[in-house]
Amino acid sequence: MKPMKFGIGQAVRRVEDVRLVTGHGRYTADEIPEGALRAVFLRSPHAHAAFRITDTSAAKAVPGVRAVYVAADFADVGDLPCNAPMPDAKGKVMPLPPYPVLAKDVVRHVGDAVAMVIADTAENAMAGAEAIAIDYQEKPAVSDMHRAIAAGAPLVWPQFGSNVAVAAVMGDKAKCDAVFASATHVVEVEIVNNRLVSNYMEPRAAIASFDAATGGYQLISGTQGVHNTRGLVAKIMGIEPEKLHVVNHDVGGGFGTKGFVYREYPLLLKAAQKLGATIAWVSDRSEHFVADAHGRDNLTKATMALDGEGRFLALKVDILGNMGAYLSQFAPYIPWLGVTMATGPYDISVFYGEMRPVYTNTVPVDAYRGAGRPEAAYVLERLVDACAMKLGLARDAIRARNFVKPSQMPYKTATGRTYDVGEFEGAMRQALSKADYAGFAARQAASAAKGQLRGIGFASYIECTAWGSGEEGSVQLDEDGNFTVLIGTQSNGQGHETAYAQVVAQSLDVPLERVRVIQGDSQKVKSGNGTGGSRSIPVGAAMLNQASEKLAVQLKELASDVLEAAVSDLEIIEGRVIIGGTDRAISFAEIAKLPKATPERRLAVASFSPPEATYPNGTHVCELEVDPETGAVKLLRYTICDDFGMSLNPLLLAGQVHGGIAQGIGQALLEGVTYDDNGQLLSATFMDYCMPRAEDLPSYHFETRNVPSITNPLGLKGAGEAGSIGSTPAVMNALIHALSARGVTHIDMPATPAKIFAALR
Amino acid sequence: MPMIHMTVNGKAVKGHAEPRTLLVEFIRDTLRLTGTHVGCDTSQCGACVVHVDGHAIKSCTTLAVACEGAHVTTIEGLAHGTDLHPMQEAFREHHGLQCGYCTPGMIMSAVDMVNRKGHELSEHTIREELEGNICRCTGYHNIVKAVAAGAKAMQGMAKAAE
Repeated sequence: MKPMKFGIGQAVRRVEDVRLVTGHGRYTADEIPEGALRAVFLRSPHAHAAFRITDTSAAKAVPGVRAVYVAADFADVGDLPCNAPMPDAKGKVMPLPPYPVLAKDVVRHVGDAVAMVIADTAENAMAGAEAIAIDYQEKPAVSDMHRAIAAGAPLVWPQFGSNVAVAAVMGDKAKCDAVFASATHVVEVEIVNNRLVSNYMEPRAAIASFDAATGGYQLISGTQGVHNTRGLVAKIMGIEPEKLHVVNHDVGGGFGTKGFVYREYPLLLKAAQKLGATIAWVSDRSEHFVADAHGRDNLTKATMALDGEGRFLALKVDILGNMGAYLSQFAPYIPWLGVTMATGPYDISVFYGEMRPVYTNTVPVDAYRGAGRPEAAYVLERLVDACAMKLGLARDAIRARNFVKPSQMPYKTATGRTYDVGEFEGAMRQALSKADYAGFAARQAASAAKGQLRGIGFASYIECTAWGSGEEGSVQLDEDGNFTVLIGTQSNGQGHETAYAQVVAQSLDVPLERVRVIQGDSQKVKSGNGTGGSRSIPVGAAMLNQASEKLAVQLKELASDVLEAAVSDLEIIEGRVIIGGTDRAISFAEIAKLPKATPERRLAVASFSPPEATYPNGTHVCELEVDPETGAVKLLRYTICDDFGMSLNPLLLAGQVHGGIAQGIGQALLEGVTYDDNGQLLSATFMDYCMPRAEDLPSYHFETRNVPSITNPLGLKGAGEAGSIGSTPAVMNALIHALSARGVTHIDMPATPAKIFAALR
Repeated sequence: MPMIHMTVNGKAVKGHAEPRTLLVEFIRDTLRLTGTHVGCDTSQCGACVVHVDGHAIKSCTTLAVACEGAHVTTIEGLAHGTDLHPMQEAFREHHGLQCGYCTPGMIMSAVDMVNRKGHELSEHTIREELEGNICRCTGYHNIVKAVAAGAKAMQGMAKAAE
């Protein structure tokens, strides 16, 4: 690909940043119009209770309160959907519990919404919510999965007779058992993937309005795709999608969790219609902890069968996936997605997996950065280290022995996936070399001399991104000679305005400020499948590249008449179409004014649907020190070598990797949602849920060793989630390595100083 | 409701505030300066950091009435016209932001850090000083680089930002 000044591959600075560093970003709560009413949700303080709202008159009498709504007021509003129910071994699909927009008669987790109060100010709405008379009859609750699947456990959904929603299976159990029966070695680990909270810095917010003249609704919110939100909210409300206009401005982080349809959206829209008013709702941080989907929360038993040389013969995984009390949009599919990646970068021909989603009286769980793949990679890489330890093999040697080789590509996994390309050992060797793995012993000795336990660990991961739906979009030459992109993905901070402008600049050679990227408006942009699964670049940029190349040809065709030259003699250089080797040229602005330059000829539409997922992969290496006197962990060195196929913007790419690593380190060492046995949430603020701070984290050394994907024309692989996938096992393997000097071979996440301190004694 | 007066970003302003009104509410809702953000409700995240009389404070934990007569600088007051403040420029140059929500508070804290600690800031100092500012997107790597570079670039300025 020809290097262009602002084009693909350049580390150009972001076009978004001037507004964001000067305080002129437009997040949802910044857009609340003067005079808008404010909504507050009354939420259950109990994990499980029957309830009756006995009186709302006092609430309605609070000054400024305009309405108090309960479930019965929304009899015409449908349930929140779960679009990913799983089948059992016989193909019978799990039954779906109801997920009403407001709880009816029974609340099933702390934070379950029971009423909505609308007032002139948020303070008055809060006062109104506090004045609602509500009678709760507490019921036994269950928050822990082991307890939830035990006989006699309180049932979240009594009509199902069990808290286990389904047992989904993959592979041939008998065949797998036979391999295990004759294997030389069998190694088993039990792994906790702790529950996390997304904690984007911008809490969710929404502004709803209704136009009685047209019957149209508008929702301004921060989501991961306006079209998905529109479709689902419209369905819940029982209206045509065309009647709902969804708008996103700047979105302050999403990480998967902002992509779901939440109950507040249809409720606010319905209230706006009932009251004929604009209504705003802004979540606070504590509300985020109980109202937005959580992430991870799996318990996995994984077992490897090996031959005498340490070759992996068969793998078994048995996953319990905490669903929470209701099924969020993709909930049961998330651990299953992990099952499909269970064999990772290794050549393991025999596999059996079982996944059981489990109901508990907790906040619903759904996709969070990586969604199933971090869980799977963590399980596998811990297991591989355990195998190395049991067999007395070097950790790099056992991996190298078992990696899928480049010569085996395309490689069909035992879980049914097809890896197109990948050089796993190459990435591992490069990462280990950069991390001076060979020189570790000297550093370890130096640490030991200071009384510190030093460890080094690594993880080789592969993940899947950008599968499924395609993307259609367009690029247009505007009348002023600039360009406008319409696209249905949604930046949550990744820098799409910059990345997409670079794609356009690659074909049309214009500075980025001449490319306007329009996203986040369901009326301006016809269709879209949003941002998630690291798809916006591998799918969106691949599509936009086609559109830009097409438009370049169309503009040359328009120019060829004027310049009296064949299209094949024309080039695009610095915003002009020029006859190659001459100074005869016409600018884009002049082309736009040509009589023949109809809107149709100035517009190029393209669509791209990925035939397969892309498979980014790589190795993370972590080096750390444990202070045995306090249990404190200090991260000393962090090295990554990743294969992202092609780097569209190395600066933005590194940023994605850094951020993912921080979240992975958070899972490993700091973060963990804590419920007590009664389902009471003990970690609902930044005071008790430990977010990674700057001083908890190291600087990172990141490099790429790209092997272009062959499933999209630009060779791209998705990079949004990979950082969170490779990091968690790398950190934990390093920690176990450090602690193994004192005989500790297992510790669960989050490995807090208290846990480490206890493990050492 | 009492009427309070402040100088915000060099401009005299006044507005009604209840005794319980927080400075961040006064800035965002009354003055409609929405660059100052609210990211938590326990004074942990630092998205709301502004300068009051030359010192960084969390405006979510400060009463508006307590700032009667104060000089307040918000993120909107740092740049001179289209010329970014060196710290803003450093965040842009080093990709020290992604979603941008924590960024105003990060930059205001960073400028305050330079005012207190000088222009040569070690990585250790920067990381320690940022304990009151949470970012979920960047993993801090580029924020740390940006603060160090911004601190150097602020050399030669009069006391920054006020």
